[in-house]
Amino acid sequence: MSTLVPLRRGLGVFAENRLAVVGAGIFLALAALCFLGPLFWTTDQVHTDLASVHLPPGPGHPLGTDGVGYDQLGRLMLGGQTSIIVGLAAGLLATVAGTIWGAVAGFAGGWVDAAMMRVVDAMMSIPALFLFMLLAAIVTPSVTMLIVIIGAFAWLGPARLVRGEALSLRSREYVQAMRAMGGTGGRAVRRHIVPNAIGTVIVNATFQVADAILYVAYLSFLGLGVPPPAANWGGMLSDGLADTYSGHWWLLYPPGIAIVLIVLAFNFIGDGLRDAFEVRLRRR
Amino acid sequence: MVRYLVTRVGQAIVVILLVTVIAFLILHLLPGGAARATLGKEATLDQLASFNHEMGYDRPWFQQYGMYLLRLGRGDFGYSYQLNQSVVEAMAQRLPKTMVLSLLSTLLAVVVAIPLGVIQAVRRNRPADYVITSLSLLAYATPIFFMGLLLIILFSQTWPILPPEAPQGFTVGEMLADPAGLVLPVVTLAIVTIAVYSRYVRSSMVDNLNENYVRTARGKGLPEWRVVLVHTLRNGLFPVIGLLGMYLPALFSGALVVESLFNFPGMGQLFWQAALKRDFPVLLGVTVVITIATIAGSLIADLLYAAADPRVRLRRGAS
Amino acid sequence: MNEPLLELRGLDTDIALRRGAVHALDGVSLQVLPGETLGVVGESGSGKTMTALSVMGLLPHGGRVTGGEILFEGRDLRTLPPDDVRRIRGVRMGMVFQDPLTSLNPTMRIGTQVAEPLRVHFGTGKAEARERAIDMLRRVGMPRPDRIADNYPHELSGGMRQRVAIAMALICSPRLLIADEPTTALDVTTQRQILELIDDLRAEFGMAVILVTHDLGVIAGRADRVAVMYAGRVVETAVTSSLFRSPKHRYTEALLESLPEEARGERLYSIPGLPPDLSQPMTGCRFAPRCRHVTDACRLSEIPLSGAEHQFACIHPASGRAAAGVPLPSPARSFSDAPVLSVRDLVKNYPVRRGGGQVSAVAGVSFDVAPGETFGLVGESGCGKSTVGRLAVGLERPSAGQIVLEGTDIAALTGRERRRMHREVQLMFQDSYAAMNPRMRVDAILAEPLEIQKVGDRRARIATLLDQVGLSRQVLERYPHEFSGGQLQRIGLARALALHPRLIVGDEPVSALDVSIQAQVLNLMRDLQKDLGLAYVFISHDLSVVDYMADRIGVMYLGKLVEVGPARDVVRSARHPYTQALIDAVPTISTAKRERIAIEGELPSAIDPPSGCRFRTRCPRAAALCETEPPLTGDTHQVACHFPLRQPPPATSAA
Repeated sequence: MSTLVPLRRGLGVFAENRLAVVGAGIFLALAALCFLGPLFWTTDQVHTDLASVHLPPGPGHPLGTDGVGYDQLGRLMLGGQTSIIVGLAAGLLATVAGTIWGAVAGFAGGWVDAAMMRVVDAMMSIPALFLFMLLAAIVTPSVTMLIVIIGAFAWLGPARLVRGEALSLRSREYVQAMRAMGGTGGRAVRRHIVPNAIGTVIVNATFQVADAILYVAYLSFLGLGVPPPAANWGGMLSDGLADTYSGHWWLLYPPGIAIVLIVLAFNFIGDGLRDAFEVRLRRR
Repeated sequence: MVRYLVTRVGQAIVVILLVTVIAFLILHLLPGGAARATLGKEATLDQLASFNHEMGYDRPWFQQYGMYLLRLGRGDFGYSYQLNQSVVEAMAQRLPKTMVLSLLSTLLAVVVAIPLGVIQAVRRNRPADYVITSLSLLAYATPIFFMGLLLIILFSQTWPILPPEAPQGFTVGEMLADPAGLVLPVVTLAIVTIAVYSRYVRSSMVDNLNENYVRTARGKGLPEWRVVLVHTLRNGLFPVIGLLGMYLPALFSGALVVESLFNFPGMGQLFWQAALKRDFPVLLGVTVVITIATIAGSLIADLLYAAADPRVRLRRGAS
Repeated sequence: MNEPLLELRGLDTDIALRRGAVHALDGVSLQVLPGETLGVVGESGSGKTMTALSVMGLLPHGGRVTGGEILFEGRDLRTLPPDDVRRIRGVRMGMVFQDPLTSLNPTMRIGTQVAEPLRVHFGTGKAEARERAIDMLRRVGMPRPDRIADNYPHELSGGMRQRVAIAMALICSPRLLIADEPTTALDVTTQRQILELIDDLRAEFGMAVILVTHDLGVIAGRADRVAVMYAGRVVETAVTSSLFRSPKHRYTEALLESLPEEARGERLYSIPGLPPDLSQPMTGCRFAPRCRHVTDACRLSEIPLSGAEHQFACIHPASGRAAAGVPLPSPARSFSDAPVLSVRDLVKNYPVRRGGGQVSAVAGVSFDVAPGETFGLVGESGCGKSTVGRLAVGLERPSAGQIVLEGTDIAALTGRERRRMHREVQLMFQDSYAAMNPRMRVDAILAEPLEIQKVGDRRARIATLLDQVGLSRQVLERYPHEFSGGQLQRIGLARALALHPRLIVGDEPVSALDVSIQAQVLNLMRDLQKDLGLAYVFISHDLSVVDYMADRIGVMYLGKLVEVGPARDVVRSARHPYTQALIDAVPTISTAKRERIAIEGELPSAIDPPSGCRFRTRCPRAAALCETEPPLTGDTHQVACHFPLRQPPPATSAA
């Protein structure tokens, strides 16, 4: 039972950080809207309805309809599912892959480390969006492919971070103290390095999710996202681009604001988590 | 210093070589291989075979890579059958324009972000800081194209004072002759950059303001402006030089989006159109060139940093 | 009597926290006369630094003076317009801070930094300001000041940077210099140089000095008058000699008794408990909870300072200390068993990353430690004493030489045997907080050595350990950051004891602690030695602590052992000139005459150490012969010197 105390205290600090709670709230609200919303607001997002295109918001269509007659609210829910699923999955994939790569490099040291980090340097100096588009041009993206494409290149940041953490934690005095007791490298990793690095990794993961959501939006905006009738927020904005001058504001603002909100939410959560992880280490 | 320069340039070369390996691998992992990717879906088997022979793609892989490197070294990035133009020619017209866009945006971002960051650090945890922090977080969370769209709606539609499209001049000079058309693309790209830079300047300045040497400066009875601008700012800005280099990949990614949105005739737009048409010679050529530009840019930033900061300059030069 | 230069009247200072505030100063009243040195002494949290910062207007974020007056040359700095105050602080006062490594602007040339006050306050021209800066650098004893003026701070050693800081503080010829722990971060021989410099400059400039320090020895040698602070208040103030001869306040008395150099017999007096939490309201004497002589009256109401020349805030004042004299050292113990640790010709070199070459950290060190004995290893920073400690516990492998533990050369051990070896010898760190995983609770921290060595019945063992170091069971569920420095050192000691080691290597184990807490830990270490038959290698830069703790002492200089012998012989009749210089540099509260060997200059680089005797470049007795290496010779009191200060008296060493 007493093992729950630090967890509870961490949650307490998280809860104290108002922005973090707001962030978590926004995320939960958006996720509920996208995943539970369709149960209550059923719309046809497969068949076009050319009889009711560009309808302004009104009864029957609270957010109007788009250029092929899809209900905009329903589409927002459907698009959100893609954005959230891809963001979370790609962020998770990148974090796991990067953590493994960085940890191996940090512990191996020497030329293995140098070689592994040069690979990271090389890939990092290719602007990410160029790589994503290159890959998206090769394979026609599905939701799974999007996750793989983004995850396959977003791991570089976590890899660098974890390597740095591993290098710095390895030389801490408490690891030395453990070695002076006769402890092994494996124990250092299990008992000292992983528990101290995990917080940093989790905080970084939330920022990875935010970035992944942005990348999905960019790819879709540039016409290399999931093809219709599937939808996501970036693609909806891209479709709405044509309507900039026709005054169909309901095609632009809802998806745009949704992206901003969810990216903000993950940034808030990340900041709050960082405080929560750090608090236990603060000396009086 | 010379030693540092040599190691740093050596590292950059290794990284560039690694990038060419990646590009080479991608080209050959394409469905149908390099020949199909270059000649397109309609090419006959004979055409493919003769292309492969001509380019040496029927030889062992290390020879292929060697020939690929040699061609790159000669500036031969292949031929785009879709543009009916060599890839180098297509890039040559556009690279300078992308550089203009990136440089102007970076300049604008630096000029705005430094004072913002300094104000935030000096007034930290007070209303001015909160307001600027919130705004920059908002800017950071807004996708560039949405930001661009909002600016277009605001300044070209609601209040039509600026054109919504970049100038279409053939040369850089022609583009610069129409500064009004450059405003929205440059500002759009700069806004996100400002958000990133000002956050960084703020934290660097806050760290420095907590240093003991700042207390010493106050102890000398210096006026506060002098403590901040003469003592702290200098030290606080050194890391920002490094950031300019680190941020380049994100800057070019942003330029890709901005060019597509504003129909700006640069590398990003070239790349975007090639991606939609699956024009692989162009895609790979642009990727390699943009990457080399990134590496060169961060190299320059690192060397500038090393030359500017006496601690780095002298320590690296000592032994 | 003259007008005071600076007078504090009832100064209150608060530091705002996230919740509530710390009342760092509560009604502090002080006077500084023109030309005198006032020593302000106290332990951490006593408010001595806050007093200095309040005067200078340099309180940290959230700090604020909430009441009282700061009268400087008759004007209250709290009511003057801010620009006037800034000018007064820049021109009429100067301040020198504790950490010379971080107190100078790293990217501004030395000359520019020193000249800056002239340029700002007097609008002096660039060339003239530079000339005067160079002149000032010369006066603080900088060699080649015209070249140094163009250097950056990181190119200078700590001692040199502190000289720069002093030059900067004095450039406008202030009336008052505030020095806040100016030598705490420096080695003793450098400390002595800096303190003497401040003394000389005070006379030369006719200015007053406030010397803020935790070190009673520093105060005793340098101050005209002393103010003792405790928990945000001044508890006693008097002329220096009178205060040390007959302290009145019970806190001052207890503090003096806690000093290792004042030890009479086996145990030090140690003040129980911890200083009070200043964010809580208090009534009565703040020292009452820890005082031996407390009565109910002490807790009833505030006790003001009273008295004329010698003021104190105590209603049960001490009547004077026992007659001062040379304290009797404890009788020498003899050890005849086979040594638990035997170090032979130990060498450790570290490669230098750039430019090749290597740092010679340890260069041929040999010594033995007998079971139950304490071997003290002293020397200044960079002498290699910590490296010897790390080698002895097997944290690093020697470049050459042997480490024989219980008769076995540890280099020959592998795998399981090597792991078992770690049971015999344990390390105690200077900063126990850094040496404990911040995410582990104390129970896990104490269980770790037992888990690693697969020793059974952890619960019972941990319970015993807590009893041995005097901690309650409740600490087990808490995290390292919840403890004070002294408690952490107890936990660190408990962890080191867990495996029943024969030997504990303590690397500066009490250096981060306040005097009263230091006494608690030293006593504990001695008690455990007696009960468990432990041997210690006690590594410290502090000669008086080592003198108190050690049976035998080894003195290191630049990787070499220059003198080894019984503690009292080494300290009271040193044979190596370096040892004597070290002893002379240690500030003590006793006023006995000394031989006074002062060493000048800076420690040479260990990348390219001097040939022959490594001390010869700074030695007053160096001659041509010193270019050949002197061997460590002698019977029990050995010295590595061609021209030792004295031969060992034949009788004393027959132990």
